[in-house]
Amino acid sequence: MKAERSSHERLSYLSEIPLPFLGRLIHPLIRERRSLAGVLSWMGLGILLFFIFIAVFAPLLVPISQTQPFSSPVLQAPSLQHLMGTDNVGRDVLSRVVWGARTSLEIMAIGVLIALAIGFPVGLLSGYVAGKLDRVLVLVMDSIYAFPGLLLAALIAAVIGKGIFNIGIAITVIYIPLYFRVTRSQTLSVREEPYVEAARALGARPLTIMFSYIAHSAIIAIPVIFSLSSADAILTAAGLSYLGLGLEVDTPGDWGRDLSDAQQFLGVGVWWTSVFPGLMILLLTVGLSFLGEGLNDIINPILRKERT
Amino acid sequence: MLLILLTVVFFVLRVIPGDPIAALLAEGTPTYIVDAVRHSLGLDQPYWVQYLVYLAQIFTGNLGTSIGQYFKGQSVLTVILQRLPATAELTVGAMVVATIIGMGTGLIAGVNRDKPVDLLVRLYGTIIFVIPIFWLGEILQIVFAVNLGLLPAQGRFSSLDPPATVTGLYTIDSLLEGRIDKFLVALQHLVLPCLTLGLVLSGFFTKTVRANLLRTINSDYAEAAKARGIPRGRIITRYALKNALIPVVTVLGLQFAILFAGAVLTERTFSWPGMGSLLLLSINTADYPMIQGTIVVYAFIIVVISVIIDMINGLIDPRVRY
Repeated sequence: MKAERSSHERLSYLSEIPLPFLGRLIHPLIRERRSLAGVLSWMGLGILLFFIFIAVFAPLLVPISQTQPFSSPVLQAPSLQHLMGTDNVGRDVLSRVVWGARTSLEIMAIGVLIALAIGFPVGLLSGYVAGKLDRVLVLVMDSIYAFPGLLLAALIAAVIGKGIFNIGIAITVIYIPLYFRVTRSQTLSVREEPYVEAARALGARPLTIMFSYIAHSAIIAIPVIFSLSSADAILTAAGLSYLGLGLEVDTPGDWGRDLSDAQQFLGVGVWWTSVFPGLMILLLTVGLSFLGEGLNDIINPILRKERT
Repeated sequence: MLLILLTVVFFVLRVIPGDPIAALLAEGTPTYIVDAVRHSLGLDQPYWVQYLVYLAQIFTGNLGTSIGQYFKGQSVLTVILQRLPATAELTVGAMVVATIIGMGTGLIAGVNRDKPVDLLVRLYGTIIFVIPIFWLGEILQIVFAVNLGLLPAQGRFSSLDPPATVTGLYTIDSLLEGRIDKFLVALQHLVLPCLTLGLVLSGFFTKTVRANLLRTINSDYAEAAKARGIPRGRIITRYALKNALIPVVTVLGLQFAILFAGAVLTERTFSWPGMGSLLLLSINTADYPMIQGTIVVYAFIIVVISVIIDMINGLIDPRVRY
């Protein structure tokens, strides 16, 4: 009874906003901008946009030559010439950090978008068709979900090799179950709704119902998951690089590898090669999770009320 | 579930392109030698035969023999069992740290809802959860090992002889030997890795304990207790906290996935000779039986833990008893 009511309320809430998907997202964001969740979301969005900006304009901001060995004197402490210092092979830390944003966002985009492209339709299908197929898919997805994502990604990365695209593929596997679960549970909650029944009664084909009726409603849960899994993807990609399974040595920016390289010089007081790349990862992941958690509170106000 | 995980591992290792033999042998090795090695490892069979052999081996406890340069010819299971105690010490220690810090902060936040301290704790919960674990490890190393010189930054034991192996857990073995000094050395080495891993994990506890505490504090039975004049502190510890912890246990299982992934990174940061380091070593030396064995053992541990958690769940919450 309770679940029925809440999904009904959620639908009526959505129908107040006669706008397509982006509108349904932006409208509450603007309306709630003064609440804590709104402030968090906008902060997160700002941080994300900042990183996208430096990633896109990296070639204009810092010369790529500075990211390669012996372009500068080695192990310089931060100074006016090298704002974040240089590392043990004479690479400018600031340049590496800026190019690292580009690398990280590329991997993140590949990994998370492919996961979305697979997890979303499979989740729709599983939730709508139900039955045996659903049970098998849920079991498989739950098993993958319960396994340490980093280990699975490390395994795949070890087999398919290094590189931005390969690492993107390797981490995709972690997030498919996530998109699958969320889409499936959304599908289950709306599939018996009157408007879906009506479409069925009017003779709409299952595919039409799934992709134009249910998908329309289920997609509202995606932005939250998208932000949170992006944060995790950044961490996992950096983790793989840190373990030496990530990118080629000559990649212009690679936060994880830089942190790994930095470690042997911690003992002699070289802190800047470690602190700055780590701060960048942290800032980006914090931004993404602010965005995700803020959106979660804004988009699911009814769910939130039930939870607290 | 174990079967599915094993299948996924098999699929990744065998079906995805990538030739273990090519990685194993030097370039330009004559084809007939390559074929002979392939045959001796059973990799020339069709996939379904390989799959059945693989499953049969695992269920009889045979994980094969290492082909890497470090453990060549040794039984994979033996090598893994030597490494297992180190990982166990690290993860159990981290779980203790995470539980204490997470429950403490969650309790403080839940009791002081919407006050500044609550916001601060929530901020902590969010940030600590997405902090790169290896970076946190490095920062702790800089502060406590390099600058303050209080704790060792690397490894599991000092230059002293490690205690004789009984359980493989240095803390317990040293006590069995009756050597307090060795116990303290082992403990010192545990502090930073456990703190690193535990802190990252604590964010989850902070958030879940807080959310559930808010729910139970506002519940009818807490109200009833209040009406009967039971002091607030007692209501929280006796009524609210107890019930708030039940859902925490339910979702605890998934945290072990994060725990083990984090442990691999922490082991690398602190040169901790556990299963994670072993996995990396095997990947770098293309030791396929060892890679497979390590992953299978991880999968096995995770399945066992999730079964145990289900059982605990049934014990503390009669509603989910089957």
